[in-house]
Amino acid sequence: MEIAIKTNVLATNDQLAAQNKDIFHRAGITALNIMGSPGAGKTTLLERTLERLKGQLRVGVIEGDIYTAKDAERIEAHGVPVYQINTGGACHLDAQMVQKALPHFNLAQLDLMVIENVGNLVCPVEFSLGEEYKVVVLSIIEGDDKPLKYPLIFKESTAAVLNKMDLLDFCDVNLVNLKRDILSINPEIKIFEVSSRQQTGLEQWVEWLHTIGKKSG
Amino acid sequence: MHEMSLMASIFDILTRHLEDYPGVTVKKVTLRIGSLTNAVPEALEFCFSAFAQGTVVEGAQLEIIQVPIKIKCRECQQESEPVEFHFRCPGCGSLAVDVTQGRELALESMEVE
Repeated sequence: MEIAIKTNVLATNDQLAAQNKDIFHRAGITALNIMGSPGAGKTTLLERTLERLKGQLRVGVIEGDIYTAKDAERIEAHGVPVYQINTGGACHLDAQMVQKALPHFNLAQLDLMVIENVGNLVCPVEFSLGEEYKVVVLSIIEGDDKPLKYPLIFKESTAAVLNKMDLLDFCDVNLVNLKRDILSINPEIKIFEVSSRQQTGLEQWVEWLHTIGKKSG
Repeated sequence: MHEMSLMASIFDILTRHLEDYPGVTVKKVTLRIGSLTNAVPEALEFCFSAFAQGTVVEGAQLEIIQVPIKIKCRECQQESEPVEFHFRCPGCGSLAVDVTQGRELALESMEVE
């Protein structure tokens, strides 16, 4: 006997994500889900960003990490509220983990919630967290073949931050092809070319955060 | 390896449905997986066997129907399948296209005896 089920496998996660989205919306918070490979520079970008947003946007940070609190400790040093989620082996954050993190914040006091996902270019993008925008951080030294190898993360992201631009001359990466492929997957994506280490190109990125952070605030 | 999480959700849904059919064993489970998702069929099969062990699903066949990506042009309404993830209308060249198919991660059906 065949039994039709026809159910979205991610239905439960999507339902919890919708609840999170509602919580963010009612608190007037814009939530970002920052994704990228391990070592792409997500945390360093976030640190340089927090320095620039200080006194202008009130930011909270949820750090996703498999086991450690190393990233959360770096963020905490910038004096912003931060909560560490340890996934205990899981390669991505899901909506339930984020929902459990939210009571640890005074949401009324925040404009922007930055959720730094587990370092991974594949899995996190499948799991909505209730964020308004997904952002992919790709360090250029990862190679210009990455967009076509991992198209979904570029398709679903509103912005792509190309980090470690200071290393462009030291690697065989064709920046023109890299950007062309990103735009062919997602013509509407915003691309920011930055070096978090050299602190270049961060102005446009921070300006964009101001635009989206104020929209609902 | 988020296929483990996906399979956990699949077995939650299966278990809920199986409550209505006490005493049956599952012969086949059918999934619809879009080509734009990051779910790898081989990984899904591996996770399926792991979750099925010791349950009424053990030994069941896992059928995966791959759903190709389709896009629809917002300008000329033409539907097409993108080549190598180039999301551009082959008819009018417009970049204003919507993905209409290829993001499926669905538990379609099960066959029980």
